[in-house]
Amino acid sequence: MNKIIAWVDQRFPLTFFIKHELTDYPTPRNLSYWWGFGFLAGFVLVIQIVTGIFLAMHYKPDSNLAFDSVQHIMREVNYGWLIRYLHSTGASAFFAVIYTHMARTLYYGSYRRPRELLWWTGQGLLLLMMATAFMGYLLPWGQMSYWGATVITNLFKATPVYGDQIVTWLRGGFAVDDPTLTRFFSLHYLFPFLIFAAVAIHLVALHTVRSSNPSGINLADKDNIPFHPYFTIKDLFGLGIFMIVYLLIVFFKPDLFIDAANNIPANPMQTPADIVPEWYFLPFYAILRSVPDLAGGVVAMAISVLIFAAMPYLDRSRVTGGARYRPIYRAMFYIFVIDIFVLGYVGAHPPSLQIRTIGEVSTTIYFLTFLLLPFVSRWEEKFVLARGLPPAVEAMARKEIAEAEGNV
Amino acid sequence: MSNNKLFGLIFCLMFSARSAQADEAQLKRGAHVAVEVCNTCHSLKYLKYSDFLKLGFSKAEVDAMRGTKGMADPLISQMAPADELAMFSTVPPDLSLMAKARDGGANYIYAMITGFYTDAKGQTANHVFPGIKMPDVFMIAQADAAGRQGIEQKARDVSAFLEWASDPQAEERKTLGRYVIGYFVFLTVLLYFLKKKIWKRLD
Repeated sequence: MNKIIAWVDQRFPLTFFIKHELTDYPTPRNLSYWWGFGFLAGFVLVIQIVTGIFLAMHYKPDSNLAFDSVQHIMREVNYGWLIRYLHSTGASAFFAVIYTHMARTLYYGSYRRPRELLWWTGQGLLLLMMATAFMGYLLPWGQMSYWGATVITNLFKATPVYGDQIVTWLRGGFAVDDPTLTRFFSLHYLFPFLIFAAVAIHLVALHTVRSSNPSGINLADKDNIPFHPYFTIKDLFGLGIFMIVYLLIVFFKPDLFIDAANNIPANPMQTPADIVPEWYFLPFYAILRSVPDLAGGVVAMAISVLIFAAMPYLDRSRVTGGARYRPIYRAMFYIFVIDIFVLGYVGAHPPSLQIRTIGEVSTTIYFLTFLLLPFVSRWEEKFVLARGLPPAVEAMARKEIAEAEGNV
Repeated sequence: MSNNKLFGLIFCLMFSARSAQADEAQLKRGAHVAVEVCNTCHSLKYLKYSDFLKLGFSKAEVDAMRGTKGMADPLISQMAPADELAMFSTVPPDLSLMAKARDGGANYIYAMITGFYTDAKGQTANHVFPGIKMPDVFMIAQADAAGRQGIEQKARDVSAFLEWASDPQAEERKTLGRYVIGYFVFLTVLLYFLKKKIWKRLD
C-alpha cells in the first residue's frame, strides 16, 4: 500500500494534498456549529446530484408524459418515492442550509477583507442554485410548476427593447410549453455540475484566506487545530442532527414543501387561484410585488439578491468580529432577519391592501438596512472604540484604521 | 435542547403519523364506494386493480370489482370523456391524487361530498365548491337525519380511501422511516460522544 502511495506521490501530490487541505489544514479551534453549514451545503449538493441522476433515469421530459412519469416514479419504481422525496425535500434543505450559512457570514462579518472573493463566489453559487431550483420546479409539470415558470419568465419582459424576444427565447415559444420543459430539464441537469465546479473555486478561496472565527481576531498559531479529526467529527455530528430533521420530513411530512396545486397536471387554460413560489423565493417575490411598476419590481428584486455582494464595501466599520462587538450592527442584523420572515409571509399571501402595506414597509426596511449601513457602521465604529473593546479586537481595529489613513 | 426533549419530539412526530392512518376495514369500504360510485364518472388512472390486493382484498374480491378489466388495468371512468363533456359540460377530474391536490386533503373531500344543500331557489348547491358541476350523488341534500348519518359514513370512508390512493406507499414509508430515524438518532448519539472524546485531547 505504502509503495503504491509513494508511486502516486512521485507523479501526483496526493499525500501533500490530503495533508495540506485536510489532516493538517489549520482551523481556528473556536469555530462554533454555525461554521458547519458550509459542509452541510456540500453534503446536500451531493444528495441532490445522486438522487437527481436516479430520478432522470425514470423521468420523461415531455409535456404529455412528465406528470405521469413522476407518478410512475412514486408508485412503480422501487423506492422511487424515497428518491423523489429526498430530492424534493433536499431542495428546501439546500436553501435552509445556505441561508443559515449566509446569515452566519453576515452576523460575524466573515465577508470582510480579505474574504471578499470568498463571499462573491458564494454569491455566484447562490444565483446558480436559484436558477437550478427554479428550473427543477418546472419538471413535475404541475399547475404551480407551469404557472410559476410562466410568471417568472414573464419578468424578463421588463428588459428594455428586447423584452419580448428574450421571453420567447427563454421559453422556446410564445408560452411555456414542451420546448420550455425540455430546455429546463437539460439545464437543470447541467447546472449542478457547474455548482460543483464553483464549490471547488469557493473552497480554493476559503483555503487561501482560511476560515474566519467568532472572536474576530487573527488567532495565534497555537489556537489553530488540524481540521482532521477535530472538525471532521464536529461536522459529522452536525450532519447527524441535520439528517434527523431532514429525514423526519422525508419520511413523515414529505408534502410539507409541495404545494397542493402542483398535484394537478399543468393546464395552460386555467390559472390557479394564487400563484405562490416556493418558500425560499418568497421574500424576493414579496419585494417584486411591492414595487407597483413591473420593471421597477424586477430591478428591485434583482438588487435585493445581488446587494449582498456589496457588503464588504457597505460595511465600513473596521471593528472585527461582526455583530459580536457591534451592538448597532447586531440590532440591524436581527431586524433584517425578522424583516425577511415578514417578507416571506407577505410573499405567501394574496396582495390585499393590508398585505401590500406590510410588503411596502418591509421592502423599505430591507433596502434601508443596506443603505444606512455605510453611515451607521462608521458612526458605530467611533462609538464602540470610545466605549472600549477587548484589547486584541481594539488593536486590530486601530491597526486597520491607521493603515487606511496611511500613517503606518 | 436536552436529548430527552429531542427524543420526545421525534417520537411524538412518529406516533402522530401512525394514529392518523385509517384502518383497513374503512379503506376497504371506501374502495367499494370509489369503484361503484366515483369510478362511474371519474378515473383513478394511477391506480391499477391489482393495487386493491395491497388493501387486503382477496384475489376473488378484486376479480369481482374489476369485471372484464385486467388486473393490471388502470381505473378508467366507465363513461367516455366525450359523453361526460356533453352531460356535465366538463370532464370530471382524475381522483388518484385528489387528496393531495386540495388543501385539507381527505377533510376537503369529505366536506365537499357532504356539502350539498338545497338553496333558496330549490336548486342543489354546494357549501365548499360553489358552482360545482358534480351532482349530489348520495342525495345528502334531501336526506333525513338517519340517511345523513349513513352518507356521512360513506363520505368518510371514501375520503380515507382517496387519501390512501394518493399515497399508497405511506404505510411503507412510515415503517421504514421509524427504522431510519432510529438509526440516525443512535448514530448521532455515538458521534456526539466520539466528538467529546476527540476534543478532550485539546484540554
